Amino acid sequence: MAQPVVAWKDMCLGLLVGIAGGFLQGIVLHSALPSAALLGGVFGLVFTAVFSKRASSAGAGLIWGLSGALLFWFLVLAASMLKLGTHDSNVMLDDARGRFAELAAYLVCLGAPVGLALGIRGAISPGSSRPPFNLSRAITAGGLAGIVSGLIFGHWMWQGGFFPLIAGLIVIPSQAVRVVLQFCIAFLMGAAFGLLFQRDVRGYGSCMGWGLGFTVFCWFAGPLTFFPLAQRMPLNWSMDAAVPLFGPLVGYVLYGLILGVVYATFDRAWVRLFIESDPLNREADGPGFRLFRSLQWGAKAGFAGGLVSSPFLFAAHMLSNVAGAATHLSSVNGLLVHLLVSTLIGMSYGILFRDEASNLAMAGAWGWVFGLIWWYVGPLTLLPLILTGEIDWRITAASALLPSLLGHLIYGNCTASLFYILERAYTRKQMLDSRMTARELRRVRPVGTPAPALWFFAMGMGVMIPLLLA
Amino acid sequence: MILSPTKGLEFVVAIAAGSLYGASVPPARDVYADNVMSGASLGIPLWGITSVVFLPLLAGNTMAWDAVGMQAQFAPLVGWILFGALLGAVLQLLTGVVATRYGAEAAPASAPSAHLTRIVILGGGFGGMKVAECLEEELAGSVSISLVSDTNALLFTPMLAEVAGSSLEPSHISVPLRSSLHRTHFVRGRVTGVDFARKVVALDGTGTKARELEYDHVIFALGAVSNYLGLANVEAFAFDFKTLLDAIRIRNHVIEMFERADRETDPEIRRQLLTFVIAGGGFAGVELAGALNDFAHGIFPDYRNLNIQELCVTLVHSRNRILPELSETLAAYALERMKQRGVVFRLGTRLVDAQPGLVTLGDGHIPAETLVWTAGTAPNPLIKTLDLPTNPRGAIIVDSTLAVPGHSNAWALGDCAAVIDSETRNPCPPTAQFALREAATIARNVCAVLKGAPATNFHFKSLGALCVVGHQTACAELTVPFAPARSLRFSGLLAWLIWRGIYVSKLPGLERKIRVLMAWTLELFFPRDIIQTIDLGGKDTHSWHSQ
Repeated sequence: MAQPVVAWKDMCLGLLVGIAGGFLQGIVLHSALPSAALLGGVFGLVFTAVFSKRASSAGAGLIWGLSGALLFWFLVLAASMLKLGTHDSNVMLDDARGRFAELAAYLVCLGAPVGLALGIRGAISPGSSRPPFNLSRAITAGGLAGIVSGLIFGHWMWQGGFFPLIAGLIVIPSQAVRVVLQFCIAFLMGAAFGLLFQRDVRGYGSCMGWGLGFTVFCWFAGPLTFFPLAQRMPLNWSMDAAVPLFGPLVGYVLYGLILGVVYATFDRAWVRLFIESDPLNREADGPGFRLFRSLQWGAKAGFAGGLVSSPFLFAAHMLSNVAGAATHLSSVNGLLVHLLVSTLIGMSYGILFRDEASNLAMAGAWGWVFGLIWWYVGPLTLLPLILTGEIDWRITAASALLPSLLGHLIYGNCTASLFYILERAYTRKQMLDSRMTARELRRVRPVGTPAPALWFFAMGMGVMIPLLLA
Repeated sequence: MILSPTKGLEFVVAIAAGSLYGASVPPARDVYADNVMSGASLGIPLWGITSVVFLPLLAGNTMAWDAVGMQAQFAPLVGWILFGALLGAVLQLLTGVVATRYGAEAAPASAPSAHLTRIVILGGGFGGMKVAECLEEELAGSVSISLVSDTNALLFTPMLAEVAGSSLEPSHISVPLRSSLHRTHFVRGRVTGVDFARKVVALDGTGTKARELEYDHVIFALGAVSNYLGLANVEAFAFDFKTLLDAIRIRNHVIEMFERADRETDPEIRRQLLTFVIAGGGFAGVELAGALNDFAHGIFPDYRNLNIQELCVTLVHSRNRILPELSETLAAYALERMKQRGVVFRLGTRLVDAQPGLVTLGDGHIPAETLVWTAGTAPNPLIKTLDLPTNPRGAIIVDSTLAVPGHSNAWALGDCAAVIDSETRNPCPPTAQFALREAATIARNVCAVLKGAPATNFHFKSLGALCVVGHQTACAELTVPFAPARSLRFSGLLAWLIWRGIYVSKLPGLERKIRVLMAWTLELFFPRDIIQTIDLGGKDTHSWHSQ
């Protein structure tokens, strides 16, 4: 069925918000206001034409907007290189670093507002077929997730001095007031997350993805933008200002992942207790069966992924680290420990991402994101914690660990692909049962969800920022 | 150009990546945004694999995976990202062009179903359900599998005594056939006949219209019924111990006897009410005697007017030793332990008659209101009505492939079949352990016949036997792996743990396993329930007393 033509109201909205964003960007970057407004208007129009039908909710709009802005920045970068007539990486890297402020401006002033505006319009416009939205569920589950994530995360952030919230920013003499304020803001962040992404939460994996995208944006909007403004300091989006904030970025990423998992836990618990427990919604087999099968497939896939990625991790000297952390044994034993850990992490993939992929390409894409997540969680956070008892989120530590990023990406992709193949083989047989067919069809992610945008935004920012800031 | 100088190889990778991407993404109309972003995200790992790893290696350079080395590949990173985005856009454009030019891609045509092979399984016990599961596993959509059973659940008989003993709830050991079998068409009904010439199975019309099921292959897994050896009075008054309803009735009856005894003033009648006779010293009889003995002693403190000396669980067996399936030492152990726990044995004597309040043995009488029959079984009586070759017991004679001779595409297994092991030439015992393996063999052989391949012979060596004789006490005789002539013998608590471990793992369905484990755990802390459940019809539990 052909997609309907984009409504002129959407085009106007995109144009107006784009012009306003461009105008704001011009002020912040001290560029010519007419040309900045023109750039914003063009972005708003192009974005509306290509992505407006995808922005079916505020969260979806935000993610599409951010990824659109990131792609726009890459295009500008490539165009600049073509203009210069060079393809030298060092020149391009310097140019990219010089344009870091533009990246922040595109994300904060163009991508986020245009995406959010179109997403909110898409959410409130009548007639479109969307999953139901439950406001109380979004606020309750999101708020609780925010508080619990704040509790889990507070210790790490305190230890690393990377507290992201306002309570560490404004001088408040009372400790009790600071703590209350801290958790109020954690509640608000969680509730905002629930309001933005409730419709797109399918399982733990995608929810971690939304959390990652949301908090990477929060890093641009918070430490880089709002915090300096709150301290009445001039806004500075340059590389020099961003490098010292790499630690908080890792903190934000981990906070987003934890927020995503906790939100998904609350949300799934809500669904299980109040929706799936209703006999009217009963599935042919209970959720426990799929969970155990997912663990089994995840273990197999994780082991295979560990085998495939081991040469890359061996070349990056990561196997001995794993062995050193766990056994103090040789690299052969390190390989065995790596395979064991890979199997366990594969099982976590089975739990977190089992409901995400409906074809091999999607499985592979989620696998890349899973590998990237584990690079942030594993070598960047847990491994130093195990080895030294402290976390090290400085850009120098991240630079030293960049070689292992590739191994993690390959591990994630192999694990996800094999998991999908195993799951598919089982599902094919299930599809012969008419009761299962309807359930399997429901699992197919409908066109329009922001998963592709999330893949690009998460992968692009997750890989590029360490490279730029290193 | 943004791409690195080794463009040739990069083009090859780009073509391969594009082909793989196109093949793995299902075509859809007007999804430019999705494909552009998916492609762009694909560009990042492509950059890592190609520009960071393989191209430097192929060029003979040392690996430069550190930050500096990767930064030196920044231009290819941007190039691969834009390549991916372009790839997604072009793929979508071409998809749209192809769809406009040639129409939408047709859905894959379903396999021609000119002749759907119909397999009908008669019986929903271990054998029948296992055949259905194996056929579902091995055969694709070109067959129709139907299973006919007079109950809608598989009864896990090894735990039946625990239901009679109020240790487990009835539903804990029953597995619904409709939920467990995904592709099998379940038909609840009683088989009244099979017309081999027309290849149809006739079903009864109880509560609905009589109907017929056509088949290409029919599998007899009808099981067995109690054989009272011509003792009409015993058949009239004794409880069966074959079905879930039997176990529920026995439990209710035991509680009823306690209730009556509690208000009875005559000590002789009280003793009669509290005497429970079990006929048969095989697995079923011994396990039931042990379970009832525990149950009766467990609920005794709730009945304050009773004297423990009046309670008696008696097992009658025609041979001089119980549990003939186990070795002599284990059988002696079981006998001794059960005696210690209060079970009375009458060995070497036969049950000859039963009247209300009196059980007559070959060498005396037992005043008792309760008699449970476990002393004999016979194949399902339906077999006798069919034109099938049978042995003197009435079991269907099958060949070494479990096919019924003289009837094409007819198979039989389990308690209703006389199965001879193809290697040892010994008759196979009518146990669930053998029925499960016979079922797998039949499923394989049906598939082989459908594919025109030769059928395989049935051969299986017993893995051993286990029997619970009382609270946390069991006997286990397990075959040593790779040395089938030898066996490992366990008794007491260890054997009991082995019994529970093995059978809970064999119990079909995760949910049932969890329920049983929870019930066993609760039993450690709380007394057994003495609530009488409703008995809908069937044998009147008051019959003896009223008569």
